[in-house]
Amino acid sequence: MSDSKYFATTKKGEIHEFKEDLRSLDKSKKKDAVKKVIAAMTVGKDVSMLFPDVVNCMQTDDLELKKLVYLYLINYAKTQPDLAIMGVNTFVKDSQDPNPLIRALAVRTMGCIRVDKITEYLCDPLQRCLKDDDPYVRKTAAVCVAKLYDINPELVEDRGFLDILKDLLADSNPMVVANAVASLAEIQEVSGKDVFQITSQSLFKLLRALNECTEWGQVFILDSLATYQPRDAKDAESIVERVSPRLQHANCAVVLSAVKVIMKQLDLIEDQTLVKTMHKKMAPPLVTLLSAESEIQYVALRNINLIVQKQPQILSHEVKVFFCKYNDPIYVKMEKLEIMIKLASERNIDQVLLEFKEYATEVDVDFVRKAVRAIGRCAVSLERAAERCINVLLELIQTKVNYVVQEAIIVIKDIFRRYPNRYESIIATLCENLDTLDEPEAKASMIWIIGEYAERIDNADELLEQFLEAFPEESSLVQLQLVTATVKLFLKKPTERPQQMIQLVLTYATQETDNPDLRDRAYVYWRLLSTDPEAAKAVVLAEKPVIADNSNSLEPSLLNTLLNNLSTLASVYHKPPEAFVSRTRLAVQRVDELQPTAFEEDVVSISNSDGNAGAAPSGKAESSAPAPDLLGDLLDLGGPAPAAAPAPAPAQTSNGNAGAAGGISDLLGGLGDLDMAGGVAAAPQPARYADPFAAPAPAAAPAPAAAPAVAPLPVLLPADKGKGLTISGQVGRQNGHIVYQLSFHNGSGTPLDGFMIQFNKNSFGLSPAAQNIDVPPLAPGAGGSAVVPLLQNPAMLSPVAANAGLQIAIRNNQQGVFYFNDVLPLTALLTEDGRIESSAFVSSWKTIPDANEANKALPVNLTNVEAVKAKLAAVNIFLMAHKQVPTTNEEVIYLTGRANTVGAPTQLLLELRFSKGTPGIKVFTKSNRPDLAPMLFDALPALLAL
Amino acid sequence: MGLWMSRLLSIFGEKEARILVLGLDNAGKTTILYRLQVGEVVSTIPTIGFNVETVTYKNIKFQVWDLGGQTSIRPYWRCYYPNTQAIIYVVDSSDTERIGTSREEFHAILEEEELKNALILVYANKQDLPGALDDAGVAEGLGLTGIKNRDWSIFKTSAIKGEGLFEGLDWLSNMIKTKR
Repeated sequence: MSDSKYFATTKKGEIHEFKEDLRSLDKSKKKDAVKKVIAAMTVGKDVSMLFPDVVNCMQTDDLELKKLVYLYLINYAKTQPDLAIMGVNTFVKDSQDPNPLIRALAVRTMGCIRVDKITEYLCDPLQRCLKDDDPYVRKTAAVCVAKLYDINPELVEDRGFLDILKDLLADSNPMVVANAVASLAEIQEVSGKDVFQITSQSLFKLLRALNECTEWGQVFILDSLATYQPRDAKDAESIVERVSPRLQHANCAVVLSAVKVIMKQLDLIEDQTLVKTMHKKMAPPLVTLLSAESEIQYVALRNINLIVQKQPQILSHEVKVFFCKYNDPIYVKMEKLEIMIKLASERNIDQVLLEFKEYATEVDVDFVRKAVRAIGRCAVSLERAAERCINVLLELIQTKVNYVVQEAIIVIKDIFRRYPNRYESIIATLCENLDTLDEPEAKASMIWIIGEYAERIDNADELLEQFLEAFPEESSLVQLQLVTATVKLFLKKPTERPQQMIQLVLTYATQETDNPDLRDRAYVYWRLLSTDPEAAKAVVLAEKPVIADNSNSLEPSLLNTLLNNLSTLASVYHKPPEAFVSRTRLAVQRVDELQPTAFEEDVVSISNSDGNAGAAPSGKAESSAPAPDLLGDLLDLGGPAPAAAPAPAPAQTSNGNAGAAGGISDLLGGLGDLDMAGGVAAAPQPARYADPFAAPAPAAAPAPAAAPAVAPLPVLLPADKGKGLTISGQVGRQNGHIVYQLSFHNGSGTPLDGFMIQFNKNSFGLSPAAQNIDVPPLAPGAGGSAVVPLLQNPAMLSPVAANAGLQIAIRNNQQGVFYFNDVLPLTALLTEDGRIESSAFVSSWKTIPDANEANKALPVNLTNVEAVKAKLAAVNIFLMAHKQVPTTNEEVIYLTGRANTVGAPTQLLLELRFSKGTPGIKVFTKSNRPDLAPMLFDALPALLAL
Repeated sequence: MGLWMSRLLSIFGEKEARILVLGLDNAGKTTILYRLQVGEVVSTIPTIGFNVETVTYKNIKFQVWDLGGQTSIRPYWRCYYPNTQAIIYVVDSSDTERIGTSREEFHAILEEEELKNALILVYANKQDLPGALDDAGVAEGLGLTGIKNRDWSIFKTSAIKGEGLFEGLDWLSNMIKTKR
């Protein structure tokens, strides 16, 4: 019997009718009514008002009816959160039903009802079901824990569900193990906490369960195995051995996950014969993936692309399977082409070239272009095949197909760069095709060739002149090349005609154009030529470094991240998961936790910023303390530092990229302008400041305040955000000046140089004295440090109330710009001349209005008062008086410090009250800038603790 | 077949009645329900929601709804009022402190338009406990004696011992039969 009849009613008063039927004592009528309600629900009618009536049908022996009611509940519990509580008793009863199917059904439905009010009632049934005798119930309950964690993590932790889940890893039933793994992995990912570590014992259990559970269970287990760090090569070997049979599985997901695990473990295996066998074993399953439908092929190809970058030898004999079929969709063809380039070797280049040549005659323009480029890239990467590649390219040029010729010229330029002085004989052929060029990139390439080989091309001047006729209309790419080529021509053939040309070009480029790049380049050439033509020759015609083909290959750290995410979306996008998965819920939470580091700080955050604020700012302040026992804390900074570091990112995204990021890029755009204003004026200063500290021996620094350099700096930009580059740093004080101590570690695959820094507007008008960071070029794996002097510039003052946040941008020549946030410790602002007369202290305490007074109780115990005084003096907080209050047992310390705020310095007046034996200390402060008080309170705990 | 059977039964005169068991939390509602249904004392936990069971007694099929008595659940009692023939109001006779609260809830029920034709059966439960009020005490505490326009009755019961429950049900079935 078809159920379609339930969809057929359109009468009025339907809901009322449903209500009547649902209340009917007649079971079959009731069931019919529930079916009608569900039917209405699935076609999108709102039947939520029937909630109480449907819930009343929940207690029934009829499994079918029960399932229908549960389905309804899952859908509407959210819209009727209060009424959902009426279902709880039934869930509790059902979770004790003799029928395991009903027990599992109840616990599964409970997990799907995402209503806060009832979650606590569901814990007992869940706990029972996790220890059920029936494996089906246990495996369902295991998944339910992850669902519950998403709603209420604390509850899961408090009730010990995580431990029960971990116990389930040793369950006798493999499906239960697989679901426990899936659940734990999910919780780990959502929480970011370390809840699921595979140990050597659990490893064995997982491997055993792997062989027996369902295919999706296998995927879960394999994915979690991929995160396991084996103890030694032997451990890795046994994993690989146990996992390798999974390669034969029919399910692509299992195969790819198995490959992921094996790829990871192979790194650790020393036995080369085993590595080779595994490579051999991995090839056929990967090839098999390509016989699936095109969509799966695409996913497989994207993954293979990564695998091949890491271990080309796996598929080095299989290049043939990546040859494009005529009926492959274009996206598959493009991917195959990419992999063919990566697999091309001396051995198979002939075959591959033949294929490429074939593709270059196809109809799809994009594909043809890519094929031609592929030939060029093969030529660049395979020296011995270069000649053959060039021959093919020349043949293609003969076809005179416009876009083929243009692509060919572009790649030939690269080949010339790669193999200078070898294939220039073909220039003549290229010159024949000048007229067909209409794309900027092709034109630019051709112009580069003409300029570079001007001495060998007899009519180079004529050719260039042809291009110059349309100079004003050309795109900037072509214009830039034309300027350079003309200069080269002039330097190589300083005759009359080139001289006229260069006059013309440079005049135009300096006076008519509004493209700053073009103008600047023209100026540089002009000055170079007018001051010293020999120097110009040395610069312009210098030997160029040989290029290598690394286009479309990922940098090593990213590649490793992606390989760890094989067979996920990340490996298809070739982007790390953080780049496209937004964990809004968690992100919001974290921003809340770290609120004081965010920029939109409310003025009245004095009480707000105590408990949770303490972490980030005080962590930073601590590092300025020389006490050795703090060092342990600081080394442990793994806790606070990464916790603080991710904060800027979510904060930025949640503010909307436009706001924060836009602001910074704005100011970066102003780099050039600022150069004139701040940079010139401050030019002599960086040298003065930087020199004494440029040497990596800051311990020798004489100033007492400059001791902290021994302590590691807090990480500002972790490697995963900085494309491998790690930046640590902290604002501090050295020799009476505010400085930014920075250290870099280059974990990317390329050397990095040209580091520059810029600040966004901030509460204290801080900005670097110079944009260039005095740090040597960093080789891969190397580190360096620098001290950047900071100035206070009224133009950089942000008008909002003081907060310690700094938005910083650092760029280098290779990776572009990174944005991150830091927190300014108040101590960096306190000047050495902050001591005042005690009479002045008393009078200013009286004159400053009471509204400017702030106070706070700090959970610090002053034990060694003298040491604290010394420590405070070291950061320029000076003692005014230390008194006993005779009547009470209290002691009072008066202190002062002068914060260098823009405009006029701010004298901070401080009163500390405490009594011996009583924990805690009360702090009162007064100043003309009450908005500084929160920062002071943040800084004090670390300064007072010993 | 099921449909046919149920029709046949109604021809033979088996009556059906929908009954709500209400009362404050910890009054013993769930225990009473299962004492009536299976004749045993089952261990219970606070009912967050409801229980529903069918009890056939004296040729009447009672569909007995036992609703949770927690403060948080009481507002939802009203969802169950329509088509109710009788209310069994359960009072913990030993809980003299809360008899006032119980009275308020009881009178709120009496005011309900949807329940104006419902019979009222009060169980003065937990008579086995020392210090329990007797039926007269409970009747006074609830203000039962002031009710003139309704059919009501009160019974001393002990769900644990199984005393008084079926006497109450006897009264209920007689009233239902005479009403129809």
